[in-house]
Amino acid sequence: MTATKQAYDTLVHETGGWVASQLEACTRCGMCAEACHFYQATGNPEYSPVWKVELLRRAYEQRFTLVGGFKKMIGLEKEITDEDLKHWSELNYYACTVCNKCSMVCPMGIDLGSLLHGVRAGLAAAEVVPDDLMAAVNKQVEEGSPLGMTDSVWDQRLEWIADEWEEDIPRDVQGADTMVVFSSIEVMKFPTNVAAIAKILNKAGEKWTVSSKAREIVNFGFYQGDEKNTKMFLDRVLEGARDLGVKRIVVTECGHAYDALRWHGANWLPEANDFEIIHITGVLGELVGNGRIKLKPGAFDGNGTITFHDACKIQRKGGHIQEPRDILKVIAPNSFKEMTPNREEAICCGGGGGVIAIKAADPQRYAAFGLKIDQVNSVGAKTVTMTCSNCRLQFTDGVEHFKLDWKVTGLAQMVADSLVE
Amino acid sequence: MPEETVHKQLQGKGVSRRDFLKLSGLLATAMGLTAVPPLEESGLPASMGVRAQASKMVARALETAQRLPVIWLNFQDCTGCTEAISRSVSPSLTNLVLNTLTIEYHETLSAASGFQVEEAKQQAMAKYAGQYVLVVEGSIPLANDGAYCVIGGRTAIDILKEAAAGAAAIIAVGSCASFGGLPKADPNPTDAKGVWELITDKPVVNIPGCPAIPEATAGTIAHFAIFGALPELDGLHRPMTFYGKTVHDRCLRRPFYEAGKFALSFDDEGAKQGWCLYKLGCKGPTTYSACATIKWDQGLSFPVQSGHPCLGCTEPNFWDGGGFYQGQSAPLNRPAAAAVGAAVGAGAALGIGTALVNNAKKKAKGEEK
Amino acid sequence: MNPQAMLEFARGPFFYASLLFMIFGLAYRLFTVISLGWSKDRVPDKGSKAGGVVMSFLKGILIWPFIPWVKNTFNRNPLIYIGGGLFHLALFVVIILGTPHMLVWKSLTGLHWATLPLPIVDWMAAVGIIAMILLLINRRINPVLKLISGPAEFLSWLFVFLPMVTGYMMTHHLWLPYENLYALHMLSVDVMMIWIPLSRISHFIFYFFARAIHGAEFGKRGVAV
Repeated sequence: MTATKQAYDTLVHETGGWVASQLEACTRCGMCAEACHFYQATGNPEYSPVWKVELLRRAYEQRFTLVGGFKKMIGLEKEITDEDLKHWSELNYYACTVCNKCSMVCPMGIDLGSLLHGVRAGLAAAEVVPDDLMAAVNKQVEEGSPLGMTDSVWDQRLEWIADEWEEDIPRDVQGADTMVVFSSIEVMKFPTNVAAIAKILNKAGEKWTVSSKAREIVNFGFYQGDEKNTKMFLDRVLEGARDLGVKRIVVTECGHAYDALRWHGANWLPEANDFEIIHITGVLGELVGNGRIKLKPGAFDGNGTITFHDACKIQRKGGHIQEPRDILKVIAPNSFKEMTPNREEAICCGGGGGVIAIKAADPQRYAAFGLKIDQVNSVGAKTVTMTCSNCRLQFTDGVEHFKLDWKVTGLAQMVADSLVE
Repeated sequence: MPEETVHKQLQGKGVSRRDFLKLSGLLATAMGLTAVPPLEESGLPASMGVRAQASKMVARALETAQRLPVIWLNFQDCTGCTEAISRSVSPSLTNLVLNTLTIEYHETLSAASGFQVEEAKQQAMAKYAGQYVLVVEGSIPLANDGAYCVIGGRTAIDILKEAAAGAAAIIAVGSCASFGGLPKADPNPTDAKGVWELITDKPVVNIPGCPAIPEATAGTIAHFAIFGALPELDGLHRPMTFYGKTVHDRCLRRPFYEAGKFALSFDDEGAKQGWCLYKLGCKGPTTYSACATIKWDQGLSFPVQSGHPCLGCTEPNFWDGGGFYQGQSAPLNRPAAAAVGAAVGAGAALGIGTALVNNAKKKAKGEEK
Repeated sequence: MNPQAMLEFARGPFFYASLLFMIFGLAYRLFTVISLGWSKDRVPDKGSKAGGVVMSFLKGILIWPFIPWVKNTFNRNPLIYIGGGLFHLALFVVIILGTPHMLVWKSLTGLHWATLPLPIVDWMAAVGIIAMILLLINRRINPVLKLISGPAEFLSWLFVFLPMVTGYMMTHHLWLPYENLYALHMLSVDVMMIWIPLSRISHFIFYFFARAIHGAEFGKRGVAV
């Protein structure tokens, strides 16, 4: 029963006024289910967001409210059991990307994403996080990266990328303005993205650097829901930035990392406010906007329809909605076509929130990707671009799994390819 | 001479056959005789039940019915009901009751007074034991052994019980006799009661109203006189004929209610236009009375027509039913600001207390980790 | 107890007690939540939190009741949108713009306003009742709602449905005498008022919290919500 005690303690600890007032507002109308891509794809009612936060609700009502206590006394409410924890672990880690689409449809406006994070915290404290995800977390704790990007691997990869694409990647430059922290997904799987970002920043004449200390932006502690790990990984980034004395930290194409560092970082580590934290999409918008880089108009026209996938953490939860569109309207004015729904209402790729790292969650993940396939096909797009490499990983994998003929690319790469020399 | 039939009595007064039949028709209408009353109780030939015309039945009944002795008692009242009936100029009905039926005893109307009239009452009660109709006006106080209403050295309850014992039927006229009336209003110092709360072994008809509509009083007495039986009653022992519909149902301002046109004060445009008085506290919707159809002063008007909301005076406890000018749907009393404040305060205190305990739990658990 | 006495009880002492209990209970609920502690948000804003809150409420007020079909989840379950929307609209029309109910507010608060003609209110009441029945059926057959509904949800439905249906019967003088229905209506209202602070019907208070938090969260991220 220690697991349940840990879970209760953490769930209760998570429940301040913010969480409690939102739990109280729920009318159990079930609308959130209709927004959830996992529910839509599978029809499993247990995947409805309201049911995923059930543990948090139970802990709150049983421990904090008179009515809940009374209901427990007469047997209407059940204590959380070990089995429950295992069950909800599957619901929350296999079938939830914490994409927060559900909060868009909640009639009460409940910010379900933050509640779902609370549930993950409880599950993490009870140590019922799926093995695959836990292995990745442990790897990040020990090696500094969940994808096995150790110091030497990082060093070699960056050197190789710099050579291969003939782009300068400044390292550990003291006093640089901008520190760019790549995600291991990009470094290991989408090296073109790293090269593209390097090319853009060099072209713009930005005084930038990467840090050997802050070499991994991905934050698997945030996926896991564990505060200690999340802070540890954030601290590594901030330490790197502090050592180099930079003004701003640029998060590259990784959604969760951006969410953790930009929108939660300062609440865990107040020193995060010493730096301006911005996503690469924001930087692209800024550079194009003030003319520091010039794009070839129509560079991507003529190769079939291009569509843009809104990432949950960068567009809906990050606010970088307009920049990609402004850029695409320049480089692909005729072939860029929006999917519906889009922008902050977009449907999530289905691989975020650590889901893609869990092998056992493949069926759910592929099912959810089915919605994305329909969306892309309905605009007849041949190319899908995005600003999140986790989404890109999911798309690449999905394209392969479903044998689709789309090209999957990243926005930074498109910008780099259409720069006016 | 109560043994004389009603018809003979009228003939003696020079009423022609033609006028007599007209009167019968009027009576039938006034009593609301749309259906033929039970023949067995009326003692009329069974053949009359077939396709009987109400007016003919009344005529036939008047020809055979004996004059009816009536004893009229006044207790805690204002004599308003007597006033209403004696001043009523309704030519047929009330006239019939007052002049043709024999009122053997009536404190206000009797010419005699004091011991003589009490004596007469005793005689009448003895003579017509089991036959007379007892009409009661005013409520009966029970507090302090009935000391609040004493007539000739005897308490109201005592007088009532004595008179009720020999009555064929009892008709409680007015809201006081029916339901206790204004004397019963909170805090009811005299412990006033209506007749039907006290007399349970005799048929009691209630004719509530403040005052009771004279036609309703007279019609009910006439019904008993003519048919020897009481009319059909509702759950509150009121004759269905007069109390079957609400004032609201028959109100001339009803269309304005449906259309949502309301007077908001007594002198606004709505009031001048004759719009519905619901928002001025009219109790018409829950008030069962023939007020809106029979009206007053030969059908001249009734309160709502004259511009005043119905007070609901035919309903029990109307005197304690909230303000007269407060909407009828409104709760009877509203919590004082202090009570609301206390409720909020208690809730807040308990809530903050619970939250403190919860925060302590949170903290303890946080440290444990 | 005869209907008249029951009515007086339900309009008088019982109403009084229920109302005070409701006020007490809601104050309790509100203060437990408010006093639970609000961690400070130290994250710098990208957009405007206040703007987000305003937008959030505007959307809540304008989109949900009037143009729900712009939500892309509308097609997936229009019944909840339409049924839920009409129910709330009916509730608003009946208890705010219905003359008898306005007089209740007037007697409690002293404020009064113009009301709608009875037939309009009456039709809205019928719509509300039908919507509630549909929503109940939906709750019994929709897999998600089946999963998340316990006795409390059905009791909440019942305690709201009873006042509506007795109120409707009362207006139309159906089956029982008017004051009997009035008494039943008031009794059911009293029971509902006791139930409100014990149940999720109290969402009408926490709605403002949730909407504001949602608006602030999206506003600070610079996302039009």
